[in-house]
Amino acid sequence: MSLLHHRLPLAVAARIASGRIPTVSTALIAHRLLSTTPRRLHAEPVQEGPSHVSDVSGRIKSPGLKTATYTAQDEPDKYVDPYKNGPGALDKAAHLFFFTEILRGMWIVLENFFRPPYTIMYPYEKGPLSPRFRGEHALRRYPSGEERCIACKLCEAICPAQAITIESETRLDGSRRTTKYDIDMTKCIYCGFCQEACPVDAIVETQNQEFSTETREELLYNKEKLLANGDRAEAEIAANLHSDHVYR
Amino acid sequence: MVSIARYIRGIRQVGIREWWHQMQYIGDVKSGKFAGKDQFGNRYFENLNAEQELPGACFPLCLCALNSCIARSPPMGRFCAARQQRDAGPAEWHSWLSHIRKEPPPVDAVMQSVSPPWKAPWIENLTGTRGAYRCYNTVKPKIEHWQPKVTARGK
Repeated sequence: MSLLHHRLPLAVAARIASGRIPTVSTALIAHRLLSTTPRRLHAEPVQEGPSHVSDVSGRIKSPGLKTATYTAQDEPDKYVDPYKNGPGALDKAAHLFFFTEILRGMWIVLENFFRPPYTIMYPYEKGPLSPRFRGEHALRRYPSGEERCIACKLCEAICPAQAITIESETRLDGSRRTTKYDIDMTKCIYCGFCQEACPVDAIVETQNQEFSTETREELLYNKEKLLANGDRAEAEIAANLHSDHVYR
Repeated sequence: MVSIARYIRGIRQVGIREWWHQMQYIGDVKSGKFAGKDQFGNRYFENLNAEQELPGACFPLCLCALNSCIARSPPMGRFCAARQQRDAGPAEWHSWLSHIRKEPPPVDAVMQSVSPPWKAPWIENLTGTRGAYRCYNTVKPKIEHWQPKVTARGK
């Protein structure tokens, strides 16, 4: 309190010297202003503008008396870079993200300890297959046991890899049947055009994909092999065709 | 860790003998509902509990809605406690194991009705053995060697 009483007359005297007669409240505000502090009043005036940064030493000089009336054009710290010697914003962001990335990766590892395993124990456990999956070929028979293929050679014509070879003869009962139906499974691209071209559903591609062989020769299928495939998998093939019969 | 807890729970559910058998074949302990047995003695089980077996993942390529994804890819929880080392069973069980058919073959009405009486028994992939398939020609060869025919003299 004594300090205030001591300083008030000084401020009032400064205001009187500048030609204005302030009230008590404005005198208090004027006392708080930077430009009216006694030390600032006694400071040396310097040049305005950017020249207050000395070219010789780089030291910041006093900005002068017009502190309270600065605008955006003549801000005092415009030419001073306080982050000049420290790390840049990009460095700090990279450090932050790389460090937290380690923690996030460790968290994912920790999460998977508490989950059931993803492993599929093939071949005792298999992933899902479509009923339209195109695997090993098979030649089908009618339920009576008569073979379906009528040697129309549409599959041979449409086969883009030219993997099918067909020869036909007339059977003793007068019906046309194939004598040779060869598929080179090393040429086949498993496009499924043959089973789409077939008018009697004779050639189909089963869902069997486990027909890997040791030699290439075992992949040159003839008619007997294809019919044997169909005889073994007939229940699966017919069930698949039945499940898709709405769309065929 | 749920993996160790799952392992111990599997041993408690299937028993020591079955645990040893599964460790020799599958390399893991799996338990589930008995679905059936094929003619070779392979037993098939199904475990639809998502806490124990991972449900079928919705693949990122699948652009269908979430509901149809769940309907399309049922949980992976079907496994085969095999008797042989090489094979996981005949074609009907293969289609059940690959989640193509929903019901196991003994109770699948469609599969039962379309099974023909002339259906051949399943043979495993015999490559590398003496029973491996060898390709042969099924037609009469078009080029034949010349066979000298000698007509008997004096006739």
